[in-house]
Amino acid sequence: MTYSLAVDIGGTFTDVVLRGGDGALTTDKTLTTHHDLLEGFFRGVDQVLSKAGISSMDVDGVVVHATTIVTNALIERKGSPTALIATKGFGDVLSIRHEHRYEMYDPQIEFADPLISHDLTFELDERILADGAVLRGVDTTEVEALAKAMQAKGVVSVAICLINGFRNPVNEQAVAAILRRVAPDLYLSLSSSVAPQIREYPRTSTTAINAYTAPITEPYLHGLTLRLAERLVPNKPLIMLSSGGIIGAEIAGRNPVRMIESGPAAGALAASYYAEQLGLDRLLSFDMGGTTAKACLIENRKPLIASSFEVDRIYRFREGSGMPLTIPSIDMIEIGAGGGSIASVDALGLLKVGPRSAGSAPGPACYGQGGKEPTVTDADLALGLLDGDNFLGGDMRLDQQAAETALWRLGERLGTDIAQTASGIYRVVAETMAAAARTHATDRGVDYRGLPLLAFGGAGPVHACAVGALLESTSVIFPPNASVLSAFGTLVTSVRFDLVRSAPGKLDVLDWDDVDRLLSEMAGEGLAALADAGCPPDTVSLIFGADLRYLGQQNEVPITFEHDPRAGNDVEMIRRIFEAAYLAQYGVNPSHVPIEIVSWRLTVRGPDIAVNSPTTPTGGWGQPKAMRTILLWRELGPTAVYDRGSLAAGQTMAGPAIIEERETTIVVPPGWDATIDPLGCVIAKRRA
Amino acid sequence: MDGITLEILWSNLISIVSEQAKALQRIAFSPIVREAGDLASGLFDARGRMVAQANTGTPGHINSLASAGLALAKLFEGRLVPGDIVITNDPWMSAGHFFDITVFCPIFRDATLIGYVGSTIHHTDIGGYGIGAGARDIHEEGLWIPPSKLYEAGEPNALLHDFIRHNVRTPDHVFGDLAAQVSSGRAGGERLIALCAREGLQDIETLSEEIIARSEHATRQAIRALPAGTWHGESRFDVPGGTIIALKAAVTIDNVAGDITIDFTGSSGASPIGINVVMNYTHAYSTFAIRSCLNPELPNNHGSLAPIKVTAPQGSIVNAAYPSPLNARHVVGMFVPMPILKALHQVIPDRVLAEGSGAVWTVQIQGKRATGDAFTSSMFNYSGGMGARLTKPGPSATCYPTGVAAVPVEILEAAMPIVFDKRALRRGSGGKGRSPGGDGQVIEFHMNTDQPWLLNAVPSRLDRGPDGLDGGDPGASGHFLVNGTPVSEARKITMQPNDVVRLETPGGGGYGAA
Repeated sequence: MTYSLAVDIGGTFTDVVLRGGDGALTTDKTLTTHHDLLEGFFRGVDQVLSKAGISSMDVDGVVVHATTIVTNALIERKGSPTALIATKGFGDVLSIRHEHRYEMYDPQIEFADPLISHDLTFELDERILADGAVLRGVDTTEVEALAKAMQAKGVVSVAICLINGFRNPVNEQAVAAILRRVAPDLYLSLSSSVAPQIREYPRTSTTAINAYTAPITEPYLHGLTLRLAERLVPNKPLIMLSSGGIIGAEIAGRNPVRMIESGPAAGALAASYYAEQLGLDRLLSFDMGGTTAKACLIENRKPLIASSFEVDRIYRFREGSGMPLTIPSIDMIEIGAGGGSIASVDALGLLKVGPRSAGSAPGPACYGQGGKEPTVTDADLALGLLDGDNFLGGDMRLDQQAAETALWRLGERLGTDIAQTASGIYRVVAETMAAAARTHATDRGVDYRGLPLLAFGGAGPVHACAVGALLESTSVIFPPNASVLSAFGTLVTSVRFDLVRSAPGKLDVLDWDDVDRLLSEMAGEGLAALADAGCPPDTVSLIFGADLRYLGQQNEVPITFEHDPRAGNDVEMIRRIFEAAYLAQYGVNPSHVPIEIVSWRLTVRGPDIAVNSPTTPTGGWGQPKAMRTILLWRELGPTAVYDRGSLAAGQTMAGPAIIEERETTIVVPPGWDATIDPLGCVIAKRRA
Repeated sequence: MDGITLEILWSNLISIVSEQAKALQRIAFSPIVREAGDLASGLFDARGRMVAQANTGTPGHINSLASAGLALAKLFEGRLVPGDIVITNDPWMSAGHFFDITVFCPIFRDATLIGYVGSTIHHTDIGGYGIGAGARDIHEEGLWIPPSKLYEAGEPNALLHDFIRHNVRTPDHVFGDLAAQVSSGRAGGERLIALCAREGLQDIETLSEEIIARSEHATRQAIRALPAGTWHGESRFDVPGGTIIALKAAVTIDNVAGDITIDFTGSSGASPIGINVVMNYTHAYSTFAIRSCLNPELPNNHGSLAPIKVTAPQGSIVNAAYPSPLNARHVVGMFVPMPILKALHQVIPDRVLAEGSGAVWTVQIQGKRATGDAFTSSMFNYSGGMGARLTKPGPSATCYPTGVAAVPVEILEAAMPIVFDKRALRRGSGGKGRSPGGDGQVIEFHMNTDQPWLLNAVPSRLDRGPDGLDGGDPGASGHFLVNGTPVSEARKITMQPNDVVRLETPGGGGYGAA
């Protein structure tokens, strides 16, 4: 029997999933140990192994790890002294940013300090031109002097990002070679290898983030590899990336920037797994937790990939208030509305929910830890959607009285009673989610109407049908093991690495020798990475793509080719796919405008993972364990409450119904029917 | 209407227009729309009153779309049928120059007109002079599209389409962007009808009334909390060509009625170059200044704008009269908030900011590549420093009141034979103060060419830096240098192959004595 293991370290919990060759899952959730993440990692692993009755030596499949370590290091700004080497005249790139004032209407706006300060920024008299020609090479003496200056300031890690370095890495590499000789202990991050894409600010930001976190991740992943080996785990660990790719720990350690938000990325992969299993080409994954909700569009059974994103947004999740990263990542929207989001009345007398959150301390009023303001969870409890005696399987009692008091106070200002206030919060939070999802989809040229939702996270299943109704969703799917879905997602994903390099050029007059050289280099790098992750070249497939636009535009459309474009220098294929993708997104193709390639993409992918479906739940149909009054539809009489574990495949329930599990509660409103499918998913559909 | 139902309906209206604005911004060919979000999208009731506006766009569009909606609804009253779509770029009716085209789509539910979805976007070309302030009168500036039907009962107005096609240089781009405006208007209308059906509304009259009344009341209440009186502010700045422009604002707060009147009497007269500002645009930047200090969280609509009145002498630079040229009206328009903020400083010192660099500096280059092909770059821009706030410094290399992003050096170098030698903060250029002003930038470039080339640069504040507030020092004035020699020229300059251009953008003013 083959066993595979997944560990997802999040901000609060460390989730562990062990999968046997028959598809059976053993799971565990333990508190994240921030002082030493590996302590929680191995505690969770040991618990799972002992539940399954096997030893670490038996884990002969993959060991996949997703972690929040990089995000934490950035948000807490706890990295080691990190320097930036920039081209002379351009050392302020991190302070100048895009020049964009992300919030037009707030004269009191603030910007986060640059990750690398001015006194740790060093300028070098060198220059590469836009076509890659070297105008000025690197002067060894100058770099040696820089090395001394950096060492005097206690620098541990260095980001090297030179103008046009994405086009020709020779100067960045020359700097690195000298530094390796004179200061071999420095961690080095080269923009030409971390993020070889055009646009100096996001590339520098990406390289800086990489340099800042590499001294944390390299030892961490090295330690992980050693400790797994000590426990005689047969295979080296693989690391989940933000793009949904998976790669060896050593390469991941050198590219920490690619690990940011890898947990949520894995959740999106689980969503795409269910899309595949359920035969749905498109869906919207909806993960609502304590402080925020995350949504991701799955198209053609794959998550949408973004070519850039931001980390550590300091202003109400506003785009532009964080640090940009140009790495391939799963395209997710984060909405400031979760179970802990606080409801309030604004100056106009309107009920608002979020983005302020009660977090986990003091938490919602019903946690009884001193929170006085009503939150979404308080509303859910007061409405009867949650059972205060059965939260986290009864491990945590919720205080109904405290929730109602907080809601009553808010209702005083709205002129509404507790039930009206609570149902108002329930409706407003659904509207907030739906509005964010609509804008996100529209921004990507996707028609959201009718998209099925896949709901998970602690608060997701409580609110998903209300959101689904607003998005005209045909169905809402509640997968099993939803509380460890991200960890599960890492186990249903092939080893994969995504590479991007900018080389702007007009499609009609491409220098194909240049393209061939570039793609060959990318393929070489990708194949080496996959070999390191245990995939020999003959098992690996290469998927080529590019980012294109019409000349004069600023945003690119990423496309995937049908085959290696170098076969016959297939300009016509590139044009055809680009024009179709453009038309699908924008509804119109401009005639007579030349097409420009900005960047080339290559995905290097290992063999498909054969996944046996988990055991089909069988046995007698579950009966309601209780009847409960739900204030949202009090007039219908008490609502049946089921224990999810008691439900069997094929069972159907007419809404309204409540289905409880340990970490969450599924709400099936009136007018919806729920079915248990053979995979164990609860599928809710609106009655025609 | 209760605060829960209203919140749900209102947020849906804003979501409809924000969604359409996102769609427009993504589709647009016009770089300034995509990069700077230079667009507006609004939803109007059957009387043409703006009920919701997208949370995007530049300040210049806040109120100008609202005015356009009112005017167009009145003009076409009783003359619209399902499938009609109205268009205009009349500068006095909408956003102050020909580049901004407004498309206004009536929404019919069954046979009843229930509202409009409108948008204004800055198009790539409108014929005529092109980008810049050099035209001698408005007619040189391009095609003037009077309010007319772009579509009639669903059919394109062939003559009007033909007219536009023959009068612009890049008809593909212009029609691509118009198509985006039309489809976003139609989609917004469908969303509104779906909302009405879902929520059981016949029309949006009651809803619109409620939103407008509450917004107006909230704005008046915010004004009533301020002391009554008239406060004065004056801002002086120089524009290309060296002329000094003065903007004087008398801000009168009536805390009984709850309204604010801004009077620009005493401001400079019309300019011979295309930097004159129509009343709508002055109104837009004035309301922006007031609203961003007073109650920025309140959405823009007919009600929240109503208590703010703006007047200026006819024919002055901030109330331009026909046939004054208007093309680069942002050069003056972006300074409109500054005298107002100075006046408000005497009332709400904690919510204003000191003067900053004002308008972004814009640059456009035309020349020939080594291959001999001619090229014209898109317009690109650089910010100076922002003014300081009571307790916070002014951000460096950041513009106020607009906040447009700059195009990266590497993108510009890939697009034309330009080589940048420097782009750095201009340290020490921000005015000293208890809170210092933001620093400007130094940008230096030359062209990799053996041919003469044309430079169309629009700098500002070359003589006087932005004033400080409350004893804070002024920011440093800007410098526009060619081969080390200062230049002040409103028109395109012919440059020699080896010329080096250096832009030193102004720093922001400081706040409080250091």
